[in-house]
Amino acid sequence: MDNKVSAGSAANAFERARFTGTASEYFGIWIVNVLLTIVTFGIYSAWAKVRRNRYFYGNTVLLGRTFEYHATGKQIFIGRLIVFAFLVVVNILSAIHPLFSLVTTILILIALPWLIMRGIRFNARVTSYRNVRFDFRGTAGGAFVSVFLGSLVAFLSLGLLAPFASRWLNRYVFNNLRYGNRPFHVDPKVGTLYGALVIPALMVVLGAVVLFGLVAIAAGGLQAYDAMGVRSDLRDVMMVFGVYTIFFGVFIVYGLAGLIYRAAVHNIVWSSMRVDGRHLLRSDLSRARYAWIAISNVVVTLLTLGLMRPWAAVRLARYMAERTAIRIEGEVGEVFTDFQVTGAAVASEYMSMEGFDFGF
Amino acid sequence: MVSDGETIAKGEWYPPHSSGAVPARLLSRGGRLFAVNEEKLALSDGTVRQVSFTPRVGSIPRRAVFADGSVFESMDNDAIDAFLRSGGRSGWVHRLEEFHPRIFVFAIAVVLLAIGIYRYALPVLVKVAVFVTPPVVSEMMSYGALNTLDTTVLSSSSVAEVRQAEITDRFRQVAANAEGGAGRYTLNFRDGGMIGPNAFALPDGNIVITDQLLELARDDNEMIAAVLAHELGHVEYKHSLRQLYRAAGVAGLVMLIAGDIGSGVEDILTQGGGLLALSYSRGAEAEADRRSVELMRKAGMDPVAIARFFDVLEARLGDHSRTSMLSTHPGTPERKEAILEYNKTLQPD
Repeated sequence: MDNKVSAGSAANAFERARFTGTASEYFGIWIVNVLLTIVTFGIYSAWAKVRRNRYFYGNTVLLGRTFEYHATGKQIFIGRLIVFAFLVVVNILSAIHPLFSLVTTILILIALPWLIMRGIRFNARVTSYRNVRFDFRGTAGGAFVSVFLGSLVAFLSLGLLAPFASRWLNRYVFNNLRYGNRPFHVDPKVGTLYGALVIPALMVVLGAVVLFGLVAIAAGGLQAYDAMGVRSDLRDVMMVFGVYTIFFGVFIVYGLAGLIYRAAVHNIVWSSMRVDGRHLLRSDLSRARYAWIAISNVVVTLLTLGLMRPWAAVRLARYMAERTAIRIEGEVGEVFTDFQVTGAAVASEYMSMEGFDFGF
Repeated sequence: MVSDGETIAKGEWYPPHSSGAVPARLLSRGGRLFAVNEEKLALSDGTVRQVSFTPRVGSIPRRAVFADGSVFESMDNDAIDAFLRSGGRSGWVHRLEEFHPRIFVFAIAVVLLAIGIYRYALPVLVKVAVFVTPPVVSEMMSYGALNTLDTTVLSSSSVAEVRQAEITDRFRQVAANAEGGAGRYTLNFRDGGMIGPNAFALPDGNIVITDQLLELARDDNEMIAAVLAHELGHVEYKHSLRQLYRAAGVAGLVMLIAGDIGSGVEDILTQGGGLLALSYSRGAEAEADRRSVELMRKAGMDPVAIARFFDVLEARLGDHSRTSMLSTHPGTPERKEAILEYNKTLQPD
């Protein structure tokens, strides 16, 4: 189980994580998950989620030991059932009277920070490493400030204040995370995070210039056509085409910039992470390689009607694991799980459904 | 000392809720399981029934959890499987997942099932959803949509009131035979602005026609009536609601089946679902075309007046295109043919 990366095996060397899953092995798990989900009308999807997560956690190797995912299919299923029932009731109520939809929307907004907090906590508590569970001690108030206000600030500033949002969010998540009774600590500096924003911002500006240029050329062309007395319906066609080009252009530019930013922030946050005040973590994702993997994964998955999805998922998991390393300082000692009950999966299932935003 | 048991697997043993692992072996003897250390001292023991094994997933480490919460963990999945099989316990899900020719059969089955659901189950679900949706929902949707359009692209009509009155009169005659009678439908005149020559129906019975379309029709008000009859058909068949549910249904299927498709793909598939849902509107357009023929016939106007509209479209937009995957409207020549055909079947001969 020796997987040191640095020259020599000196103590205090950074040691990389590994991912031992393979695409062919995961393909079997994935296709059976999909098949059983279909033939059980979706009920099996809860158990499918557990098998999927156990596969990915159980193949992520850090210092020779793997992670384990402990949620049960029944837990997930009950969580999903409650969320589903809730969504059905909300939709019926809002159909009866518009005022109800206003009330339920406000109620959900008020409950959202609590749901975020419980969702993170559930996911932390069903994760273990070396037989010791993780825990999350964040509060709903913290979630309100870091997640809610953070994303609002980032959105309203068109991304210019995104580094603040990144800092708040990651501090909330990781500074409240515990491995057994050992705390995590991150301190991504705003200045460094702005460094991560430089390339994405340049990409957006450049993309905007190029798109604007295309529009200007197209408009100039249209005027020339008009002057020549060409039928104006050609103009309509070109306008529709132009609108689509701009739409997809903006989508692609923002998507690409987002990937680059995400990779850079991941590096900054993880490289500022300490466990128990002394064990250092490090992440050295290559931004270009990360973006390439993410984009080519999407393309390959779409081109194969989803059948290459297992390969894509394993590929990304392997890259992320191999680019993460830890340096143990002194003796870790014995660590103990530090809480009693895991809690219900409702909040985590609600959040994972909301990630996919549509009403039934 | 536990010396004479049968070794099941080698691995590590963890005390309850602790990371303090020691090398260990799992032994079975006389219906009991023991985790023993290298000195062959028992660390945990319990009857076979008291020990729970985690189900096998791929080749990730396997855990045997004793009643006191202590854990024996091993990489030797095959050995543990062999032991469990001899005791009658086995993981059938894992055996399905193993790399075996039948996996390809599963893949084909999944593809066929997905196509089957899309083709046959989804339309039924959409029908049920449309059926149970109370009218107030479409009223709210329409109210919001018209408001948004009015504040963004549409502005008030500049068509002469005389002409508006003439068209409204024809509209009433056509709508009189539509479901719910003329009182259920309202005709709105607007300047189309960016959207140009257009007519569209909102699910609550509000129908909008743009000045640009009237201009395109010159003074052929009968043809306008045919276009409006087509829009009435959309309202009667609840096409917009259907399309909405269809898009939601496709998105739901993608989420349910693919599960972990990853955020990027998820977004694209939802968009793609919407795009696919649009292909439905080809059937919807044909349905509305036929309704136009029926309503015009009942109102005593030229049943195939809408065909003239297609001629105008063709002449102006040069639309000779055949139906393609991405178009929301079938090619006009095709539509015209279909209408003339349909009118013949209605002809009392």
